[in-house]
Amino acid sequence: MSTSRRQFLTTAIGSTAVLAVGARPPQFLLNAAAAEPPTGNDSILVVVELSGGNDGLNTIVPYADDEYRKNRPQLGIGESSVLRIDDYCGFHPSLRGFAELLEKGELAIVQGVGYPNPNRSHFESMDIWHTCHQDKHQRAVGWLGRYLDAAYQNRGGGIPAMHFGSEKQPLALAAQRIRVPSLQSLDSLQLKGDQDELTAIGELTSAGRAVANPLLGFVQSSSTAALSASERVRSRLQKYEAESKYPESSLANKLQLVAQLIDAGMETRVFYVALDGFDTHSQQSDAHAGLLRQLGDAVQAFLRDVSAHDHGDRVLVTAFSEFGRRVQENASAGTDHGAAAPMFCAGSRVRAGLHGAHPSLTDLQEGDLKHHTDFRQVYATILEDWLAWKSRSILDGPYETLPLIKGQT
Amino acid sequence: MSNELARLDPDWAWSPYEPGEQAPWNLSRAAHLFRRAGFGGRRGELQQALTRQPVEVVRQLLEATEPDSFRNEQDELAQAMVNTGQVRNLAAVWLHRMLATPHQLQEKFTLFWHGHFATSAAKVTDAQLMLAQNQLLRRHALGRFDELVQEISRDPAMLIYLDSATNRKSHPNENYAREVMELFCLGEGNYTEGDIRELARCFTGWQVKRRQFRFSAHQHDAGEKKIFGRTASFSGEQAVQWVLEQAAAPRLVVRKLVRFLVCDEQELPARLIDPLARQLRENDFHIGSIVQRILSSQLFFSSHAMAQKIRSPVELACGLLRALEGSTNTLRLAEQLAEVGQSLFFPPNVKGWDGGRAWINSATLLGRANLVHELLHSEKTRFAGGSLAALLQREQLDEPGELLQWLEEMWFAVSLPQSVRDGIMDQFGQDKRVGNEWATAMIHVVMSLPESQLA
Repeated sequence: MSTSRRQFLTTAIGSTAVLAVGARPPQFLLNAAAAEPPTGNDSILVVVELSGGNDGLNTIVPYADDEYRKNRPQLGIGESSVLRIDDYCGFHPSLRGFAELLEKGELAIVQGVGYPNPNRSHFESMDIWHTCHQDKHQRAVGWLGRYLDAAYQNRGGGIPAMHFGSEKQPLALAAQRIRVPSLQSLDSLQLKGDQDELTAIGELTSAGRAVANPLLGFVQSSSTAALSASERVRSRLQKYEAESKYPESSLANKLQLVAQLIDAGMETRVFYVALDGFDTHSQQSDAHAGLLRQLGDAVQAFLRDVSAHDHGDRVLVTAFSEFGRRVQENASAGTDHGAAAPMFCAGSRVRAGLHGAHPSLTDLQEGDLKHHTDFRQVYATILEDWLAWKSRSILDGPYETLPLIKGQT
Repeated sequence: MSNELARLDPDWAWSPYEPGEQAPWNLSRAAHLFRRAGFGGRRGELQQALTRQPVEVVRQLLEATEPDSFRNEQDELAQAMVNTGQVRNLAAVWLHRMLATPHQLQEKFTLFWHGHFATSAAKVTDAQLMLAQNQLLRRHALGRFDELVQEISRDPAMLIYLDSATNRKSHPNENYAREVMELFCLGEGNYTEGDIRELARCFTGWQVKRRQFRFSAHQHDAGEKKIFGRTASFSGEQAVQWVLEQAAAPRLVVRKLVRFLVCDEQELPARLIDPLARQLRENDFHIGSIVQRILSSQLFFSSHAMAQKIRSPVELACGLLRALEGSTNTLRLAEQLAEVGQSLFFPPNVKGWDGGRAWINSATLLGRANLVHELLHSEKTRFAGGSLAALLQREQLDEPGELLQWLEEMWFAVSLPQSVRDGIMDQFGQDKRVGNEWATAMIHVVMSLPESQLA
């Protein structure tokens, strides 16, 4: 039995609500517990979307490349400032969080990620990353949505994926059958009311019923699961102490909520958060530095926290943006829409380090870096090696996986 | 269950409901009718319904009208909201109308068509056009389906949503043509990709100009198209007509109506669908008469229909408010409904809301209970224009037992097990709280039970 199923049974059956109607676990509870997905592990994926098009060249900086210095007379970051990775490239100085993760062996940097015939519209390119389809008319569901549809039957009414944020729900999570909730806080995962009412609802919901109506049976087991989730969130939040200091930022706040839910034993496998503002057409330096600092510090604090609560081995964070930016800076001390850029995977089970060469700064395509790794290869790796799910039908084709996860080839 | 349905005699299923010992015409059945044919009945309406024959009650639901003064007021309110530019404000006006309109069935079907011809303001981003579509759906809610499809094909919001607004002769856009075949009229398996390509050509030159539909002859492909084996120089209107002449069209509509009115999950066998599909065809696609037949039927008042649907969020909230003769801040209500999965004017995709089990997960169930809690406790909520206590007094509900029975008849599609009933009385029977606090708490608890999610 997996840890989360065991936890579920312990919490649900140990609660007063169920004990009130008898010590033997009622059948519907066991059914709800059995509604766990038929996947091989209980790994958790946290997707961080960097919206607007992150300037990959000023994220992983090829400081030793003459072409870089030539193309970035104002925005270029010199050898003395970068956080050195090797003789050729280093992190933007604001990415201390990522540099320390790399040092600990918890950050994989996948270089030169993109897709053929890159689209430079935010909307179009983001949709392509979300759905894996360049054909506009095949974009009803997202790649994570297809995974959720395939891996989860809506049997117990659990929450296989969640989106934190007030922006429109990302298309990546759009599914045929599963509806992913978008939350702004944990309030909506807790039942409101005074203690008497909550107790009554709990007892009366789980009270034994001879249920002949399958819809009612479904609602009852879903309600029991919901109340159990509410109870777990409530009790964990009271006791929860973050094991690392989170910086004050919206991304850090969202990731802290994710850490709390993971520790509350939620069955949720996919969490999705976004950090917006990467569309830096003018006066890029300060804005970009602030965003990268927010990203690196928040992810580092989050991973430290989940590891301290013994979930480190179950958590993978991945960060992507819809495109990188033009090699040559523009006249407003900013950069315009480009193509290939790095992606990041972080967690205690990643194979740390640089994966793939830095894209050439001379062999360009319309002034943009060429990709050598398709983003769907990273998705395939996450699906196969992290979520233990066959990627071919999800991604609509075979994509070769990358050696990003330890213990996988 | 499905076996039982397969064995049902179609003549019996669709014949007029005859109350009997197995299926008496009582408050529970009247409440069932008003839940499905509208947003729930008020006590007085249900009691009045019991004094008439059920078939007669259904006829009156169809013949209801909105007084001109009411309609004008609602339209003005909606227009005022459009002027704020916020589509979310439009949702608040619509909710207000659902709660207040004397023509409940028309409003219920306006919502039905919003799910069928799903169009999201997230893409259209124009409150005026969303309102115009909403009014179009209301105008045709119980009218002729063929006319509705013709109108919706020219509706600016729809044209924008499904990319027809850029449908040019040189680059036909197949999006709208595909959905006409797949979702709106025929269903998968009843057309080929070739039919879609040819239908798309018929819609070329259908554009939106200054928020109005405009036909651009210059962009229209007037050549011959071959659709379902017939070759002709179809115009868009002729092509829609030809699509609707396919045998699959009335069947798709009837299946969807049955799912909306009768049961979420059971696929009715063809022999139950076909008689209604035939009637729909013979009656020139008149929706109202099929709706009347379904709502008046033996099947509708049988155990195959009762408690065989999950309340949508809108039905849950409006049902609660109507049962308690409540009014509230519908701007806030629209937000809460969005949180539990039904954001009016923002359906999740072109398929609309899936309904049924898809409404339910841990987050939406907790959200539903919290929505009930907030509606009951909000300062903005009024019951029969005043406090809950006054309503209870008027209804002579002084004791917890009386309130429980009142709620069971009004609210629950399925009766509560005795153990649950006993549990509620244990909790509230000795409640010494003053005023209506015990009643508010009891309604909150009762409306958060699993049974409460069924319609």
